[in-house]
Amino acid sequence: MREVGIVGIGHTKFGKSAVPFLDMCCEAALEAMDDAGAKTGRRNVINQVFVGTMGAGMVNRISGAASAVVDTLNLRPAMAETVENGPASGASAVKLGYAAITSGLCDCALVIGGEAMREVSGWEGTDFVATMLHPEGEYRYGLTLPSFAGMFTRLCMEKYGLTSRDLAIVSAKNHANACLNPNAHIQAKVKLDRITDERYIAATNPLVADPLRQYDMCPVSDGAAALLLVARDKQEELGFGNQKFIRIAGIASATDTHYVADREVPTDLLAVRLSAQAAYRMAGVGPEDIDVAELHDAFQILEIEESEEAGLFPRGTGHLAAREGRTALGGDMPINTSGGLKAKGHPLGATGVSQIVELVKQLRGEAGERQVSGAKTALAVNFGGFGNNVVSTVLQAE
Amino acid sequence: MEQMYAYRCTKCGKLHHPRYIVCQNPDCDGREFVKEPLEGKCKLLTWTRVYNLPEGYMVPWLNFGIVEFENGVRASGQIGFDEGIESGMELVSTVGIVKEKVIKYKETVVEPQYGFIFQKP
Repeated sequence: MREVGIVGIGHTKFGKSAVPFLDMCCEAALEAMDDAGAKTGRRNVINQVFVGTMGAGMVNRISGAASAVVDTLNLRPAMAETVENGPASGASAVKLGYAAITSGLCDCALVIGGEAMREVSGWEGTDFVATMLHPEGEYRYGLTLPSFAGMFTRLCMEKYGLTSRDLAIVSAKNHANACLNPNAHIQAKVKLDRITDERYIAATNPLVADPLRQYDMCPVSDGAAALLLVARDKQEELGFGNQKFIRIAGIASATDTHYVADREVPTDLLAVRLSAQAAYRMAGVGPEDIDVAELHDAFQILEIEESEEAGLFPRGTGHLAAREGRTALGGDMPINTSGGLKAKGHPLGATGVSQIVELVKQLRGEAGERQVSGAKTALAVNFGGFGNNVVSTVLQAE
Repeated sequence: MEQMYAYRCTKCGKLHHPRYIVCQNPDCDGREFVKEPLEGKCKLLTWTRVYNLPEGYMVPWLNFGIVEFENGVRASGQIGFDEGIESGMELVSTVGIVKEKVIKYKETVVEPQYGFIFQKP
């Protein structure tokens, strides 16, 4: 099979965007193209563009985003497809870019993830995200993603003994990492005592979906990220010979029941486990080879449980690893060095691409103060729905 | 009075809720189901109280839970009381309006939606 690697990365500042959705996507795309040295117009070599977004059609009233981006960036007649797979839209777009190159459909693919969620009210945004739930059995009840995260957290607390403080530890760790990331939505250190002390917790960290509190979940963000993918056998010919080639060693996705109540073991995230195992197999590595990981912490409980399902820690011990500082910068298994969804932000369709941008920086040795020394192999987990569609990616440096 | 149902595969007998098009038994390919009332006693498996509700709810919070009925079928729904909610407690299912309004192409229209509201026995 053809080898596929990343030779360009781009990332907007996450948060409240001053520019519209398409402009954000183009800004990230141009940064990735400039990073790789890709040209527009007659000198363009990109022959496929994917845009991952969950809500451009529903929230921003923009459909066919990929076609619009190709035209705006003067990349015609590149093939263009918009990819919607809930909050896993970004990694799904990367997977399709990988597949398009390995199949021979194209040699060079631009993959963008973007979302402009803050154009609508919080109520509308919560409702829009909830549309990915089961329409008859969940959405109609007013159930939302935080609702399921709350119920899932309670089950995990009862089964594994993790506490609200453990969630706060993960939150504080990711906020600290985000302070080192200029593209992060929230760059503010969080003192553990301020969000856990019972005397003022109701004011500093109120309940949102009991037992989850405000600091146990991500903010609503705008943002975009982009990657330039190229076939190894065309890297030189297309003009990217001088670029570091970060290989997509494994990429896989898996699904689980749409109706969450139907899951055989309610505390399992089966699609995380299956997609990670498949990505490891494809890459010829195991969890013991992972030097740094970006895990989908839309809720802090997910970072803990995904770290276990991906095999980074034994089942039921992820919270203990967090307590011991093993997942912090300087620990033996750093997770979410970017700040994670918690503090870097979570523009849904952008997240899967953004996670890979961070890992490319780590594998290039360009992550600055948050660099994981000697990182060679990295894992990203992008989580869609409440775990009913998950994409895992393994990246390797040369 | 609205009624909630489980859906029994006519080929293998597996019960489902909500409805499916194809039987979820991995060893069955049934596509026909008969409806059976889904009601009565159930056990609360987990629950939450949510304060940031989606558009259309003019209440400060709602309680939600996942229950298991005596026939083994699990379902999610609203919990109709506030005090003394605990995982593992016995409940009884009722049916009521779980949403007053729905959004149709950016327009909110009154169209009551019925579903489970779990209560103390």
